[in-house]
This record gives sequence, structure tokens and C-alpha cells, in this order.
Amino acid sequence: MREIVRAEIGKGLRVQLAHPVGHVITLLISTMMYLGLQFVLGQGELRQDLLPQTLVAIGGYWFLQYAGLVMVADLIEEKRAGTFAQSQMSPAPPWLPMLGRLITASIFGLAVAAVAALVPMLVAGITIPFRWAALLPAALLGINALAFTFLLAGLALVSPMIGALQSLFTSLVLLLNGSFLPLNLYPDWLAAAARVLPTTLGIEALTQTLFESRTLTQLWSGGTLPWLLAHTLALTAVAGLLFVRNHRRALESS
Amino acid sequence: MIEIDALTKVYGSAQVRAVDEVSLTVPAGSVFGFLGPNGAGKTTTIKMLAGLLTPTSGQVRLGGFDVTRQRSAAMAQFGAVLEGSRNVYWSLSAWQNLMYFGRLKGMRKARVAERAQDLLTDLGLWERRHDKVGGFSRGMQQKVAIAVALIADPPVVLLDEPTLGLDVEATRTVKNWIAEQARELGTTILLTTHQLDVAEELCDRVAVMRQGRLVADLPTRELLARFRERDRYEIRVEGAAPPGFDAVTREGVTTISVRVSDPSEVYEVVERLRAQGVVLESLTQVQPDLEDVFLALVNEPSHA
Repeated sequence: MREIVRAEIGKGLRVQLAHPVGHVITLLISTMMYLGLQFVLGQGELRQDLLPQTLVAIGGYWFLQYAGLVMVADLIEEKRAGTFAQSQMSPAPPWLPMLGRLITASIFGLAVAAVAALVPMLVAGITIPFRWAALLPAALLGINALAFTFLLAGLALVSPMIGALQSLFTSLVLLLNGSFLPLNLYPDWLAAAARVLPTTLGIEALTQTLFESRTLTQLWSGGTLPWLLAHTLALTAVAGLLFVRNHRRALESS
Repeated sequence: MIEIDALTKVYGSAQVRAVDEVSLTVPAGSVFGFLGPNGAGKTTTIKMLAGLLTPTSGQVRLGGFDVTRQRSAAMAQFGAVLEGSRNVYWSLSAWQNLMYFGRLKGMRKARVAERAQDLLTDLGLWERRHDKVGGFSRGMQQKVAIAVALIADPPVVLLDEPTLGLDVEATRTVKNWIAEQARELGTTILLTTHQLDVAEELCDRVAVMRQGRLVADLPTRELLARFRERDRYEIRVEGAAPPGFDAVTREGVTTISVRVSDPSEVYEVVERLRAQGVVLESLTQVQPDLEDVFLALVNEPSHA
């Protein structure tokens, strides 16, 4: 089983690295977009009080966007080319190669988010403190984003509209998860709506531990952590059900 | 060995029977031709065989394992080249493709590497093993796809239109290879093709599907023999044919076509020709090829 997941990851990474120029361009656009946006919002200056929080938030967005792109684009291309059907004629259960795909997507998402975040940190002198308490929210943020990526993959198996849906949801995430402004600056109703979207609760928990020095106990009693857990579990369950339902349909139409 | 038992697939609320109670057995080590016009239900049957489609009823067993209930064991017995798709990753090299698909079949890395080397050497691709498949010719890409199907050395291989779009040389290589796999290595091969000369040359047995049902399932020779036209003869003669005969002259050779109700009548025809001073070159009973048989089977009035 481990061999199959490793093979899937190795293949996924090789397919992605076959076109390195595209990734470099994406990185440049991501970094420029963030710095440009903060410059405009800061009315001609980069506001040091907002940069660390928004950088964490856009890091979450970059991870979600890039992992989703890798996952969805790969599945669509493989379904079209026939390699998806070929890869399913294996003794492995169908979720196993999918797990490999998710890990590949997360590796790429993480790499892009890390490199894209490094440039503003160097250019604008942004520092993000390290706190042990932040590890759990960070991990949950990653799982939350991956669950959403898995959901997109389930849709990509059957829906020709997946590209448009993906753009719609990732744009909403960019707009509302705190990448422009920290969530506490939003009106209450907008903040509540933003928390329904993937990554928002994870970023809220993460920024609270990193910049407000809150402990996990405080996060739990404050409600952020339970909501984040519930949101992640619900997203994973929906994604899993969708995958099971659409996987068979995808094979039939392949 | 492939065993298909009363396999049926019904689609949608309209209850369209794409495959209707199909049963057949492909013995181990044979090449089995699975033929039919477009829309006959071939692709649906193949997808059920490959575990990509769940049958409405009936069973498919590969090497004794039920594809639906024992999917994992059945898939370990099986390799496939599907028609109309790339089957392999164009952005990866031939070597990387084989390593990936071999490991996906549950093989150890070292064993895959060993097998990949053998296959790529046999197929004449060893020197280009690190080149991206996207840069290969159609024939080379098809060879890689076949190597992928065979990487785990499966006892059952499905080849869906394996020679489609290949040039003469590549077709010859693939045909030789299919024959070698079955005859020397004992692989059971299910072959679908619209190139009936390929099927006639390679297949020990042929099944023909029409409107979701099997209309023939016989050894190739027997199938051809059944359609041999016992009442039609072709007589080649020198020069022009005498009047009163159904004859065609091409490039100086005249062929007279004769239909008789009894084979002994052929002697009478020959006598008539001799009496008119016609010199005979040859006399042959018309032998149908698989294309004639196929057309006769698929154009027969339906009994459904």
C-alpha cells in the first residue's frame, strides 16, 4: 500500500515538474499580487501592523488555491487522456491513489505558499513568531484546505463546470479569509459568512495563537477550535461521500 | 483464462440493454478476437471486464477471480491497452511510466525495474527510455502502452484496437509481439479490432457481437469454414471470356464467376469452356475472409 502511495506521489511530482516555468510564473504573480494589494490597501504604504496577519491568511489561500489547481487540473487532464481509467485498473482500492494525489497536491501547495511568503518577508521585513501552540491550528488549517481540495476532486470527476466552480470558491476565499484585512476588522455578519468558507477558521485560530499568544485551551473555550474541528470533519465527510458517489460515475464515463 | 457468464448491462430508465446475457470463455494462452460494429456493446463489455463498469447482472472472472466481488485479485491478473486513449503519461518518460504503473500493480520497485528493462529492450525502446513519451511516434507510444499493460506480467491482457493508426512496420511488430505473448508465454489475450485482417491472422477464436448479443463464438477456422460458399467458384482463363458467362477482366486476366447448385455441375461448366476453346488457368472454390464473415453476421436480419 505504501509503495502505491509513494508511486503516485513520485508520478505526481514528476508530472508537475515537467513544466517548471509555469510554477515560477505562478509564484511571481502570487507574490506581486499580495504586495501590490497591501500597498493599495495601505494607501501607498505597506502597513506593518497588518502584514503579518494578512501574510498568514494569504499563505493559507495560496496553499488552498495551488493544491486545488494541481489536483483538479491533473484529474481533468487524466480523465481526458485516459490515464485515469488506466490507473484504476489496479489491485489497489481507488482511495489509495487518491491519497497519493492529495499528498502531492499538499506538497506543491505547501512549497508555493512557503516560497511565495518568503519574498514579502524578505522585501517588507515581515516576521512571524514561532509558537508551539500554533502547530495544531496550522495542521488543522492544512487538513481543512485539503478536505476542500478533495471535495473539488470529487466534483472534478464528473462536472465539466469544475473550473468555474473552483475559481468562484477560491476567489471568495481570497476575498474573505483575511488575506486583504484581518477578520476582526470585518463587520460581524461578514465575518460569520467568511467562517463558512474553507481556511478562514484555521487562519483565525492560527493568527490567535501566533499574534495574540492564545493557548489551545483558550482557543477551545473561545469556540474557534471546536468550530474548526467541526468544519474540517464536515468538509472531509462531504468530500468523501462525493468521491465515492462520483468515482464510479467517472469510471463509467471514462 | 477469461470467463464471462450471462453478462448484462442495462442503462437508464429506458432500460436499454447495451449488453444482453453474453457468455463466453477464453482459454488460457489463446488470442481471442472480440469483434462487432460500433454500438454493438463491445466497449461496454470491455469496461465491465476491466472493472470500470459494474454489470447489471452476470459475472466476469479473470484467472478465476470475480471482477466485481474480488476486484483486487482480478485486477492483479489483468493488463489493458484501451482504445482511443493515451493510456500513458506523455509528460513522463517510457521508463517513468513503466515504473509508475508497475508499482501501482503492487510490484516491488526492483522487480518493476527488471521487468521494465526486459520489455523496453524487447520493444526496441531501451535507448530512448528516458525520453518523454509525448515526443514519440504513434507506434512507439503504442509500444509503451503495451509494455504498461504487460509490466506486471499478467496472465490476461486486453488489447483494444492495438494496431489502430500504426504504420505497416509498427503493426507488424505489434502483431508479432501479440502472437509471441500468447504462443510462447501463455498469456490470454482478448483483442478487439476493426482491422479484420489482423484478427484473422492472430486470433485462435473469434466472437462477434451485434446489438448487445453474441451472434458468433467459434474458432476462427471453423467460423470461416461455415461461411465457405460451397456453391461459388472462380475460374481464371486466358484471354476474353466467351459470351454467356459472368466474367471480369483485370490486367489481362479474366475471372469467371460461377454459381452451381451441385458441385458436379462445375465439370459441365468446364466442359462448355473447353468446347469454346477457352484455356483454363485455375479453378478455385471461393473462400471467404473474416471481413466477409463479419459483414454477413452483422448484416443478418435480427432475430430479436
